[in-house]
Amino acid sequence: MTGVLRCAGLTKRYRGVTALDGLDLEVAPGQVFGFLGPNGAGKTTTMRILLGLVRPSAGRAWVNGRQVPDPGGLAGVGAMIEEPAFYPWLTGRRNLEILALSGPPLPARPGVPDRVTEVLGQVGLGAAAGRKVKGYSQGMRQRLGLAGALLREPSLLLLDEPANGMDPAGIAEFRTLLRALAGGGTTVFLSSHLLAEVEQVCDQVAVLRAGRLVEQGPVSGLATARPAVRAVVDPGDQRAALALLAPWAARPDGLDAVLADGADGQAVTRALGQGGVWPHQVTVRRPGLEETFLTMTETASPEVSDATAAR
Amino acid sequence: MRLLLAELAKLRRPMTFGVAGAAALFCVLLAAGGARNASPAAQGAPGHLPSCAAAGVPAGPRCARWQADARARQRQVAADAAQVAAQLAPGAAGAEAAGLIASLPGALAIALLAGAHIGGEWSGRTIKSLLTQHGRRGQVLAAKLVSLWLAGVSLIAACWAPLALAGPALARANHLPAGRPAVLHGLSLSGTQAARALLVLAAFAVIGLLAAVLTRSATGTIAATAGTVIAMLAVAALPGAGAWTPATWVQAWMGFPAGLGSVTALPANFWSRFISAGGSPPGQGFGLAGLLALVAAGLTAAVLIFRRADVGG
Repeated sequence: MTGVLRCAGLTKRYRGVTALDGLDLEVAPGQVFGFLGPNGAGKTTTMRILLGLVRPSAGRAWVNGRQVPDPGGLAGVGAMIEEPAFYPWLTGRRNLEILALSGPPLPARPGVPDRVTEVLGQVGLGAAAGRKVKGYSQGMRQRLGLAGALLREPSLLLLDEPANGMDPAGIAEFRTLLRALAGGGTTVFLSSHLLAEVEQVCDQVAVLRAGRLVEQGPVSGLATARPAVRAVVDPGDQRAALALLAPWAARPDGLDAVLADGADGQAVTRALGQGGVWPHQVTVRRPGLEETFLTMTETASPEVSDATAAR
Repeated sequence: MRLLLAELAKLRRPMTFGVAGAAALFCVLLAAGGARNASPAAQGAPGHLPSCAAAGVPAGPRCARWQADARARQRQVAADAAQVAAQLAPGAAGAEAAGLIASLPGALAIALLAGAHIGGEWSGRTIKSLLTQHGRRGQVLAAKLVSLWLAGVSLIAACWAPLALAGPALARANHLPAGRPAVLHGLSLSGTQAARALLVLAAFAVIGLLAAVLTRSATGTIAATAGTVIAMLAVAALPGAGAWTPATWVQAWMGFPAGLGSVTALPANFWSRFISAGGSPPGQGFGLAGLLALVAAGLTAAVLIFRRADVGG
């Protein structure tokens, strides 16, 4: 087993409703791994299982080579699940100090007298550390949550929608931080709805739909893996064009165009011409991650809301 | 120990200070009322009896009966005054504080603290962060329980300290007798009651812990804890409930007087007045065994439930 994180047949049912359905997944060390899916797809449930917060109905998961919920494996994990929560009557620094006290001692490194101060600086909260958390904005709470996740210099970082509420500058800093962490050997498992961000920061992605894994691979491969040829024809010729392009799984696109799977524009043009349908325009489209994601998940019918599932 | 320090740090919050302040205020107000109740002047019982003629009582057997009744009332007033003065002596006020905190007021205070400190981890969604830092759930519950118990113990101090300061002044202001029991005797009484209260507070804390694990919310924990304690008293008020209710174990272990015997000028507890005085009350040893069993059963149930529970929010 080489993956820093591995799931085998992971299943979770809540009172007969299936939130996660036999998930098989492996994440190699030192990469930023995007975990995508529509609401209710099972992303947060997966993360909760990986953290030992929720017991799977079936299947197993391993973190850092140890089966969940072994505290030894979880000791090397930093996490921020959904909107991070803190004790509002305490300062940001005191919240982190209490988090530090709640677990094993923080790693000691020469030249770093105070790990709490270090992570507060790392996420840009050094100046606000002495303020009570009840006065923090949502973006500041996200940053503090990230600081809490980084506190123990984890080998695996689980982040669920970490950029929620951050301003553009904060998101850019966050992206840089994630790449730096991955460069330093930390594996980042990132769930996000910001597909443009995922496309920029992730090495690999997995797409979940209705509790099942529908796709996994490199971001670049996934984003360009499903090209389509779009041919604009006379509206009266659309039906004939669909018949001629049936081998390419053609489908209508508006009233005067057809979409055919594949990247061979010449073959499509030839097939149409041989059938007497002359296109006005033929273009090869390579969808981005967002369009690919929507195509893969368009038939999703959320069976259970992640936010309420564990109650 | 690190986890316990973290839990104690979380208890430094407005709710804890508010509950401690309310406990202190309650104790002082109760002492003020008790001192006033026991004041000879307020009882209209001057030192010398007026003559029957002055009181308008005809001479003869009626006069003798009236004088005997009046002297008995004077003796009762003097005894009440001496009793309250003894309760308010700085050394002995700890027994008063322990009795109040190990009864209904303390149980309600623990319910509030359990709601904020334990149930609030679910309501505030901080339970996820806590468990991702420390995955051993049994230890998390143990730290929660001990910290809540320590907060309960601190309520005895929060009640005792203002009583020790205000007690002598209240006694003087209400003309209570100056004769006080020996300091060592008062401290010994306080120490005994405070030590007994430790187990009762542990039982209240376990009820709060179990309520939090079951309801997973701050308000649910407060309601369930307070409701359980009140239900315990309601059951114990039933005639013939006997030795088999937790409320009677508390009464027996603390040595609270039964029934009307507990209704005095300055109540030493708010517990035994709710309990049926009929039947034979259990002994102190039975009370101890019952409370220990209650703590063990409650803690075991809480750990078993929490270990298997999914944590959402």
